[in-house]
Amino acid sequence: MKHSVSRRQMLATLGGLLAGLASLAAARTARGAVKKVLVTTKAPRGYDPHQHKWLMCFDVDKCIGCGLCVDACKTENHVPAGPMYFRTWIERYIIKKPEPGSGKTRGEVLVDSPNGGRDGFPPTTVPREEILKAFFVPKLCNLCEASPCTQVCPVGATFDAPDGAVLVDPNYCIGCGFCIQACPYGCRFLNPETRVAEKCTLCYHRITRGLKPACVEICPTEARIFGDLKHPVENDPIQAFIQKHRVHTLKPHLGTEPRVLYANLDKEVR
Amino acid sequence: MPPQIFRLVLLTLAIIVSYIIARYLLTPASFGQYGFYRAEALAEAATPEPVFAGRKACLECHEDIQEKLLKGEHKTIGCESCHGVGREHAQNPDVKLGKIGDSGCLRCHEDNGARPAWIKVIVVKDHYRGDKCAGCHVPHQPNEVP
Ligand code: HEC
Ligand code: HEC
Ligand code: HEC
Ligand code: HEC
Repeated sequence: MKHSVSRRQMLATLGGLLAGLASLAAARTARGAVKKVLVTTKAPRGYDPHQHKWLMCFDVDKCIGCGLCVDACKTENHVPAGPMYFRTWIERYIIKKPEPGSGKTRGEVLVDSPNGGRDGFPPTTVPREEILKAFFVPKLCNLCEASPCTQVCPVGATFDAPDGAVLVDPNYCIGCGFCIQACPYGCRFLNPETRVAEKCTLCYHRITRGLKPACVEICPTEARIFGDLKHPVENDPIQAFIQKHRVHTLKPHLGTEPRVLYANLDKEVR
Repeated sequence: MPPQIFRLVLLTLAIIVSYIIARYLLTPASFGQYGFYRAEALAEAATPEPVFAGRKACLECHEDIQEKLLKGEHKTIGCESCHGVGREHAQNPDVKLGKIGDSGCLRCHEDNGARPAWIKVIVVKDHYRGDKCAGCHVPHQPNEVP
């Protein structure tokens, strides 16, 4: 039988194809090297993520619920305006007194967060004499040591950076939404404009320049404390905070090992 | 070596090499440098310009106000919490900054039922009215009454 394509031709084509691919790869490496030298990014130089480990602490007793942090976060990070898109938000907990004779320690728990607390909180409609206690709880990404959101990402678009920030790579995210489902704290959302997952970055563009995250910067009562575990400063606020308070994390039973610590947290908060 | 084995080895090698090249071409350059993600994404996340200038940025020209502020009860509040984003103004003082009005004061001081006990709150309809808050309280020194 006569072959329409000879073995020699076949081998030559295959070899040529391989050589072509190999030279493509070489060209790409060369381009990458040239790009590294020629193209300057606006990213701050000299920031080494291995030299830092960021941590956030909240003193629930200090939060007055002004909501300036929520507003600052949206301004700083150009977060879409809608009432469901928040990288940080404030919840108001109102715990009612138990019914007399019910034998309970506390009554109904009411939680509200109008527009995430961005415009502050209006006076509550619950009559004063029915309130057992009430407080505000600021929330953001819990910076989990074992983060469920990065484990479920099918493409490696969300990750734990070496400095402890949990980031999303918007150029690599396919918008499948698995991470939004996986986060037990509800800290992620799908950005309606870019169609990719978005979350608190600890204001990565600020902390890499030596500034504090916008919410910490704007907080009027030092309810938010932010610091670096690898470089404690003199009278480090983080160390002092942990020494002074009994600290707790949200949903510790999930084993996510959050690095966002809360002082004066009530058991009703989840 | 029998020729058929030799051909098999060649074929296997060709398949492995083309897999390695295809894999190399399909993964981004910096993937795997730090972990199972694009290391370049870190630099990209750090790229945007900050919006809020930060507390230190105002001291250069307004040290006097900062000193006043630190003496009173508003000492923990940053300038930008009451005056808004000040980055442009700090670079060019001709750009005017806003300041909070009464609703801004009330954001922190109105009694809304859940504020901690240590912050002084007012019930608007029971508090002295007829003037702006700043008419009776000095915003930078709230302890003082003009
Ligand atoms: C480069 C020096 C400089 C820096 C930095 C600076 N300012 Fe000013 N600021 C001025 C000058 C000068 C004026 C007076 C402008 C005028 O009266 O026309 C002024 C006026 C103001 C006013 C009053 C504006 C008005 O309409 O009455 C406010 C409020 C203010 N600054 C806030 C800030 C804040 C907040 C920051 C920090 C983000 C800041 N400034 C940083 C120079 C500076
Ligand atoms: C509690 C909110 C608050 C904070 C914090 C605050 N300001 Fe003000 N500031 C005001 C208000 C309100 C006015 C307007 C006063 C008026 O109308 O009489 C004002 C007025 C000013 C003025 C106009 C001139 C003057 O002295 O009246 C300057 C300048 C100024 N602020 C700078 C600063 C700087 C700089 C800081 C930070 C160190 C700062 N402010 C922090 C609320 C605040
Ligand atoms: C961002 C939150 C915030 C804003 C805005 C704010 N304050 Fe305050 N204010 C505080 C805090 C925190 C304290 C300190 C705790 C306390 O004494 O209540 C305080 C204290 C006070 C006090 C009590 C001072 C004393 O003698 O103990 C007065 C009066 C006051 N503020 C008036 C004002 C006025 C007027 C404005 C509007 C110009 C204003 N505040 C805006 C947070 C704020
Ligand atoms: C007519 C003048 C006047 C006006 C206007 C006024 N206050 Fe006062 N305010 C006072 C005086 C006087 C006191 C101190 C005596 C007292 O507690 O009643 C005071 C006390 C306060 C206190 C401390 C309350 C406490 O428990 O010690 C706060 C907070 C306060 N004012 C906020 C405001 C805010 C916010 C506004 C604007 C909505 C405002 N004030 C408008 C005169 C005024």
